[in-house]
Amino acid sequence: MKKSITLSTNLTTGFERTNSVRFSATLTWLGSAIKAWTFTFLGFSLLTILWYMFSKITNGGLPTPLATSQVFWELIKDPFYDYGPNDKGIGLQLASSLGRVSSGFLLGSLFAIPVGVVMGANKFCKKLFYPIVQILKPVSPLAWFPIGLVAFESASMATIFIIFITSLWPTLINTAFGVASIPDDHKNVAKAFGFSKWKYLTKVLIPYSLPHIITGLRLSIGVAWLVIVAGEMLSGGIGIGFFVWDSWNALSLEKVISAILIIGIVGLLIDKGFSLIEKKVTYSV
Amino acid sequence: MVLDKNKTKMNYLKIENMEVAFQSAKGKFIAVREINLEVEKGEIVSIIGHSGCGKSTIMNAIAGMTFPTSGRVMLNGEQVKGPGPDRGIVFQNYSLLPWLTVYENIYEAVDAALRELSKAEKKQTVERYLRMVNLWEHREKYPKQISGGMKQRVAIARAFAIDPEVLLLDEPFGALDALTKASLHIELLKLWNLTHRSKTIVMVTHDIEEAIFLSDRIVVMNNGPASTIREIEEVHLPRPRNKKETVNLPEYIAVRDRMLSLLMDKVVIDEKDFYKEEAAA
Repeated sequence: MKKSITLSTNLTTGFERTNSVRFSATLTWLGSAIKAWTFTFLGFSLLTILWYMFSKITNGGLPTPLATSQVFWELIKDPFYDYGPNDKGIGLQLASSLGRVSSGFLLGSLFAIPVGVVMGANKFCKKLFYPIVQILKPVSPLAWFPIGLVAFESASMATIFIIFITSLWPTLINTAFGVASIPDDHKNVAKAFGFSKWKYLTKVLIPYSLPHIITGLRLSIGVAWLVIVAGEMLSGGIGIGFFVWDSWNALSLEKVISAILIIGIVGLLIDKGFSLIEKKVTYSV
Repeated sequence: MVLDKNKTKMNYLKIENMEVAFQSAKGKFIAVREINLEVEKGEIVSIIGHSGCGKSTIMNAIAGMTFPTSGRVMLNGEQVKGPGPDRGIVFQNYSLLPWLTVYENIYEAVDAALRELSKAEKKQTVERYLRMVNLWEHREKYPKQISGGMKQRVAIARAFAIDPEVLLLDEPFGALDALTKASLHIELLKLWNLTHRSKTIVMVTHDIEEAIFLSDRIVVMNNGPASTIREIEEVHLPRPRNKKETVNLPEYIAVRDRMLSLLMDKVVIDEKDFYKEEAAA
């Protein structure tokens, strides 16, 4: 099972290890890290070559890697400048998008986790709510944008609203699955020793389903980061999605490509962050 | 409730004409029926039989995890209506919570079952029982970091730590190798002695030697479904029992013989089968 990673590292640090062992372990780690980076570098070089060939074939319709990198540098050199509502640095745009994603995600999670627990623990609630989830889950969150606009009368709030909707489904489904799959053995222990409801919740239900919940959260924030770009294209104002749309209107594909790179890197970092948490909370069997 | 002391002792744990049935896709499935059993306080009773004979069903009914479809289980003069801290259970597959350390596994059980104790008293209790099973040094480890035998010692310590009147052991040593099993038998009897042989132990097993070595009486089950008690065998071996000496006593050999004939009567190698094989070869 994948759950073994955290504890096995605890185990090895628990043993008294000599310095030479630790040193050789560091070396192996360094070696595999170098290998991984070499492959990443090779892959990107290949992509850059293809990109360069395309921009030559299209006669500059697609900007060259060099021209793009110059614009990219301009963007990240001064990320926090603010020259009025339509001209803000990329850092400010990112911060605003991240702010919306995190508030929508937080609200969504606060709603989805308890509902997921109830759905997983109670068959009646599952029968009641599951059809609703099944119908609403495949709907593109953007379809909710007009409803958000009507409800909040603010494009920015409506964007947070669609992120909220986006964040619900994976968290809800994973939480419900985690809670529903608690083995009878664990339940019997709680029954036999007379665990209170609270103790059952904190010592059995949550520890068992936490890895599932975190996986749900990780999926949720991944989709939320996908949706925010489209959402901000609709809402306008400020944000990385708006920046992409604005750059397109200004006919700067260099900026668009730079923004794509930045969105990708931020998305990767968010995912890495969550996978770190995932490893932290998983127990080993 | 005022009861005649002697009477309480005799009818301490009583199963009266019990039947347990389950609803299955094919209809009603009777697991056990006509179960009558009286266990004295401080007695060790084993229930033995082939797989699927409803041993665990009887155990679960005493534990309050399943309910009889007719008849009843009486403990200390009161009908069993659900699980309770007066009965400590050692599960077949240890059932330790993998996200808790050895210490926490016992602490949480003690905390839940003995609510009237102070925090310090609870900690003392956990330490005492962890020391009894020689696992105090391993208290910070997680279940996956210790061996099967150690896990089962944690489970036994957990069951003893809540100071139950009855201990229910569901094939407790089934998954262990023979040597570990033998040392855990001694360990179990030690714990039983340390608590002044006051705890009643009901154990489900499919190991004849284990049943004889530990028990005062052995309940032999018929094969399922709808199994009944076939015979109750008394074991008059002196205590304290010592593995090496006990197994050579004539009483031990006699009981084992009787048990083998009860449980193994279908498993006979006929000489004719032997000749047939030889001819085929």
